[in-house]
Amino acid sequence: MNDLSIAWVTAPFFLGFLIFLVPKLDRVLALLGALVSCSYAVWVFLQPSPIDLQLLDRFGVTLTIDALSGYFILTNALVTAAVIFYCWQTDKTAFFYAQTIIIHGSINAAFASTDFISLYVALEVSGIAAFLLIAYPRSDRSIWVGLRYLCVSNVAMLFYLVGAVLVYQATHSFNFAGLDAAPPEAIALIFMGLLVKGGIFVSGLWLPLTHSESEAPVSALLSGVVVKAGVYPLVRCALMVEEVNPIVRLFGVGTALLGVFYAVFEKDTKRMLAFHTISQLGFILAAPVVGGFYALTHGLVKSALFLISSKLPSRNFKELQKQPISTPIWIALVIASFSISGFPMLAGFGAKVLTTKNLLPWQVIGMNVAALGTAISFAKFIFLPHQRSEPRDNPSTMRGFWLAMVVLLGGLIAANSVYYQAYTLKNIIKPLVTIGLGWLAYWFIFKRVTVKFPRAIERFDHLVGVMSLMSIVLFWLVLT
Amino acid sequence: MNNLIFTIGWIVLPFCLGFGIYLIPKLHKFFALFGAIVSVGYALQLLVSKKTFVFELLDNFGVTLILDELSGYFILTNALVAVAVILYCWRTEKTAFFYAQTLILHGSVNAAFACADFISLYVALEVSGIAAFLLVAYPRTDRSIWVALRYLFVSNVAMLFYLIGAVLVYKSNHSFHFDGLVNAPPEAVALIFLGLLVKGGVFVSGLWLPLTHSEAETPVSAMLSGAVVKAGVYPLVRCALMVEALDPVVRVFGVGAALIGAFYAFFERDTKRMLALSTISQLGWILAAPQVAGLYALTHGLGKSALFLTAGGAFPSRNFQELQQRSIDPRIWMVALVASLSISGFPLLSGFAAKALTTDRLLPWQDIIMNVGAVGTAMVYAKFIFLPHRQQEQASEDRKNVAPGFSMAAIFLLVGLIAANGFYIQAYTVGKIGKAIATIVLGWLAYFAITQRVEFKLPRALEQFEHLIGVMSLMLIVLFWMVWARSGI
Amino acid sequence: MFLEACVLATTLCGFFGIVLKKNLVMKIVAMDVMSTGVIAYYVLIASRDGLFTPILDGDQTVAYADPVPQAVILTAIVIGFSIQALMLVAVMKLSRDNPTLESHEIEKNNTP
Repeated sequence: MNDLSIAWVTAPFFLGFLIFLVPKLDRVLALLGALVSCSYAVWVFLQPSPIDLQLLDRFGVTLTIDALSGYFILTNALVTAAVIFYCWQTDKTAFFYAQTIIIHGSINAAFASTDFISLYVALEVSGIAAFLLIAYPRSDRSIWVGLRYLCVSNVAMLFYLVGAVLVYQATHSFNFAGLDAAPPEAIALIFMGLLVKGGIFVSGLWLPLTHSESEAPVSALLSGVVVKAGVYPLVRCALMVEEVNPIVRLFGVGTALLGVFYAVFEKDTKRMLAFHTISQLGFILAAPVVGGFYALTHGLVKSALFLISSKLPSRNFKELQKQPISTPIWIALVIASFSISGFPMLAGFGAKVLTTKNLLPWQVIGMNVAALGTAISFAKFIFLPHQRSEPRDNPSTMRGFWLAMVVLLGGLIAANSVYYQAYTLKNIIKPLVTIGLGWLAYWFIFKRVTVKFPRAIERFDHLVGVMSLMSIVLFWLVLT
Repeated sequence: MNNLIFTIGWIVLPFCLGFGIYLIPKLHKFFALFGAIVSVGYALQLLVSKKTFVFELLDNFGVTLILDELSGYFILTNALVAVAVILYCWRTEKTAFFYAQTLILHGSVNAAFACADFISLYVALEVSGIAAFLLVAYPRTDRSIWVALRYLFVSNVAMLFYLIGAVLVYKSNHSFHFDGLVNAPPEAVALIFLGLLVKGGVFVSGLWLPLTHSEAETPVSAMLSGAVVKAGVYPLVRCALMVEALDPVVRVFGVGAALIGAFYAFFERDTKRMLALSTISQLGWILAAPQVAGLYALTHGLGKSALFLTAGGAFPSRNFQELQQRSIDPRIWMVALVASLSISGFPLLSGFAAKALTTDRLLPWQDIIMNVGAVGTAMVYAKFIFLPHRQQEQASEDRKNVAPGFSMAAIFLLVGLIAANGFYIQAYTVGKIGKAIATIVLGWLAYFAITQRVEFKLPRALEQFEHLIGVMSLMLIVLFWMVWARSGI
Repeated sequence: MFLEACVLATTLCGFFGIVLKKNLVMKIVAMDVMSTGVIAYYVLIASRDGLFTPILDGDQTVAYADPVPQAVILTAIVIGFSIQALMLVAVMKLSRDNPTLESHEIEKNNTP
């Protein structure tokens, strides 16, 4: 049982290096890695009790794998598989697949580890692999975006490291559980690092540029899973340590509102999706107990949406209003948008209901507003004009695209079964009302208003500056 | 306790000043000069007090420093060469970066002369390697970058072997201290020696040295040949003194290097390359009698850096044939003459004292070979001594090419060469003076007999990059066999 | 014993890579392989007596790893890393005029 878990953690890295040796088999090996993770996640769900691993001795690596991490791992596996299908017929090199599977492996490791040092290593590896993927086109812009990402996340991780050693000082162990006894500054520093890495609240404002300027499959990976590597430890800490639970919830509400606010007014499809990721991460954090399921549905939907957006004729909503899109793509777009808005029949509904049930009273209003905002922003996609027309891409790449859609959207429908108890009359009516309200608001207000927000806060210097403010806020939050 | 603080302060000072230069670039020369002068003072204090300090920092796994007369000589060499180089560069347009690196190089070589455990030595040698790389690559031309890269590559590969040896020493002693070599397995000794031989440019492992030292800028060559290679040689000497069994090994390499270097140098027709090859030979002299290596290292460092500064900074050409046809300014010639005579071992100059001292301590089997080596040295330096020199009109034009700080640096080094006589005044007996003069005359006769007739060019294949690395594996086998044969008996 | 053989094989692989590879970048990579071997050797020797952290935990005595070689090799890792960075910068500069980066060619062009 332990050996199986260790083999699963190392398999993607092994496969990644194997790809460099046998570049002909790049796609097959990458897909194999994703499938291994997928079956491992299913196996985890079937286990009666969580798997706890303590490697070497109490100073060594600790891994905890339970249903929560199972959801995250499953998300990772499905999104990776979809991305590989999507790229199957393109001329991506072996390097791309190797990095994809390495990023997959490092995120898996982040989802399994429960000590700060293993987590640090996993996050840094994922950061490097993500950098290489973002910079894959080798254009000046992609290199700049990649560099900016690496720089921001590395600075954040330095703060995190300081926090980790403070935890060690207090408890002589790097285990997550040590946060209990750690001084407030330790929690503040560690959370600072994770909030930035996970793209949450104002610390996450590096995310829109990075996710929107990357290539579509890379955006899908980043938005679908990589940011969750920062979110998962927050959820895990909130579950393990009672005191940090309210802080995590607070940030969840904050980021849900902030992200949706930006998303509603955004005119660019990919940027809108990226902002929306910030908001959805808030839903995951708002109810840590059930964060896993929400992460799964969001990961599937968001990567589907990013992949679809690459098949749209333009990135600008204004232009899209004038250019009808082909109907099959529109249908896929609508399914994904419905799911994320919480429409029944799709897993997004179950996830939203589950999260709403586990909210604390003070969160309810905020989260409902955020749900309304989600409906408004996705109305932009749903009400795009469409017509029956031939897709412009060549059929072989489209085959890869549809295969990816089958994995992601099929996953969305299948995931309904996880929480079928949600289908009560009351539960169904509420999201319908929310969506209806959202659409009305969209038609009567937001379609006409044009508000352009300044992007000053997304500038590189400000991103780094915000970190100092956030650490002060965090420190104050922990202290009170 | 005071001594400890004093010593640590002296080790740290060059690094602090080096970083200080980056903060206050205006004061670069003064900082650099100050750092070097402090080292001079520290070394003199060591030599005068004749005490031995052993410091163990932290605990028995920590840093070990040994400072005695031997290290005093080496430190003094390093400091004087650094002062001369800084004086030489005083009025040139070298940037703060150059001075900072010079000072850091000086500091790291100092540290290598002070430490007595393998890890501190490793760190010191690597830092000196990086600083030397930056100095060699300072002109930023393709050639300089290539030469520097080659140097860093060779020395880093050698240091990797050294590291394996170091951990083997640790395995058998649970300490990285030099004296652990006694109990260490033969492969450990072989690996460590390989690293130090390459780094110190001794015997065939040192064949990276001619290109590096000749293609670097003149002050950098002086620094490298005068002080930096000794950072690799000093630990060999120290180990030979500490561990009885290794003394013969070191001596064998000394003899081999002395011969091979002199042989190559004699047939070389480029001044700077000849000096570099002669460095290999002189390092052999240092190793041939480890007990008295210090004085020899001092006189060689002073003489060699003076010659490098003359050949690279004041001679009108680097080719001996061209130099034969033109004539040099007599004053410049005088500098070359004095330095050459000192290295050849002419009385009145400290080279004589050093050579006499070394010859005293040779073992019987080394005696004849080293005498041959001494004659060879005299032959090599006859090339400089018998260069034509006359006051001419053309000479005044040449004088413009002379680097501005040359005279200052030359005077400083030559005064040092004469003053260093004081360390071993007992050398001046009739027998020794007669022998020295006879050796030199013999060398000069041989020079006239051979050079005027023979045209001979040695192939440079061994200096190719791949071969330099390949030679390491051969040397490793030879070393292993030597050490193993000794310990087996 | 087996691990030791593997580690030394890695070191030798790196060493022969330095000699046999023609391209300068490959030579640098080979040097990195060699230093990986050396680092692994330190870790191996450190773990000879055991794997546990040498911190007392109650009365129980455990087979602990030797922290000294591990601490020492960190220095070597950092030094190796910086040297490699320095070399790659030099190679970048050289590649402008010698795009093939074959050490023979560079050597031919740059030896007097």
